Amino acid sequence: MSVEEAELRCDVCDRVTDHEFHYAGRLLESVRCTVCGTHLELSQRALLPAYALDLERRVASKPRRLLHRAARDPAGFVRTLPGAVLRQPQKFLREFRLLIRR
Amino acid sequence: MLAAGEGRRTGHHTNKVLLPLAGRRVFTWSIRWARLLPSVTHTVLVIREQDRPTVLTTVDREVEPPDLAVVTGGDSRHSSEWQALQELAPAIEAGDIDVVVIHDAARPLARTSLFSAVIDAAVEHGGAIPVRLQSNLTGLDPAEPPPGHVVAVQTPQAFRARPLLEAYRQAHAEGFVGTDTASCMERYTDVPVRCVDGDAGNIKITFPEDLFLAERLLAKADWDLSDGHESRPHRTGHRGRPHLRDLWPTGGHP
Repeated sequence: MSVEEAELRCDVCDRVTDHEFHYAGRLLESVRCTVCGTHLELSQRALLPAYALDLERRVASKPRRLLHRAARDPAGFVRTLPGAVLRQPQKFLREFRLLIRR
Repeated sequence: MLAAGEGRRTGHHTNKVLLPLAGRRVFTWSIRWARLLPSVTHTVLVIREQDRPTVLTTVDREVEPPDLAVVTGGDSRHSSEWQALQELAPAIEAGDIDVVVIHDAARPLARTSLFSAVIDAAVEHGGAIPVRLQSNLTGLDPAEPPPGHVVAVQTPQAFRARPLLEAYRQAHAEGFVGTDTASCMERYTDVPVRCVDGDAGNIKITFPEDLFLAERLLAKADWDLSDGHESRPHRTGHRGRPHLRDLWPTGGHP
């Protein structure tokens, strides 16, 4: 899971406040206002099919994204590819665990 | 493309247009849809100075050539527009740019067809703004009901380049700060600004739930708002090929 912070308008505080964004893969899983604690999250019922749909897109677009990255920085691509490949199973395992444990 | 933000400008946290949205950052989605039009030849991205390193890395990763210009915005929307226009001024004066389109980067779902519609209307009439009729409004004071036709104004907004530049030069000289591009045009020029049909899906990321909605709208459109301007080699599920989403009982449509 990745976490980002940004300013958005909070309905409860009625002003722009800092929010914490939690992502499952590339999908937004939940948002929390750091001032009042208001928490919004996608329900399990909605998150799982949305994740499956997004995973499909991630897999289908991977070759194109790899080619794009290789064209942009061939040396860097070759240097980082083995590590990136090795990290993938663990990354997906973490995502699946997060989805199942919710 | 205005990405300088309108928040508290504390600089401590990520600008909302830099948040991830379905595999890209919010601001690169609309750059993508706009630049599918062959008539879009120059792109200027207006940012907060403290966002520059992240923006440049993101642009390098997510935005296809040709390169875009990145300029630092001011402390208001008007000022950010003025910075962008100064960047474009040489090309406008040389006659290389006929129309300037101004778009809020916090509206990642502006379709290619909407960019095309405002550009065409600006070429024909001088200025164009997308609007949505707000028919369900009521006034707090019963003695003053809202007027019959109230519209919500969206971006992208398009204007003939020379009058727009001239209007902003005059505004700068007089210290006028407009609330939006059209207000400056209306004050300093007699160029007519026409309304074109906006799009209900062209939401502005303001509240947290807007990000959830944007994600779902993109997925519903198969992440393609190009309206036929882009081929989709990654698209699956047609010609009888199975979708991974079909393995799910709801068919991937929660």
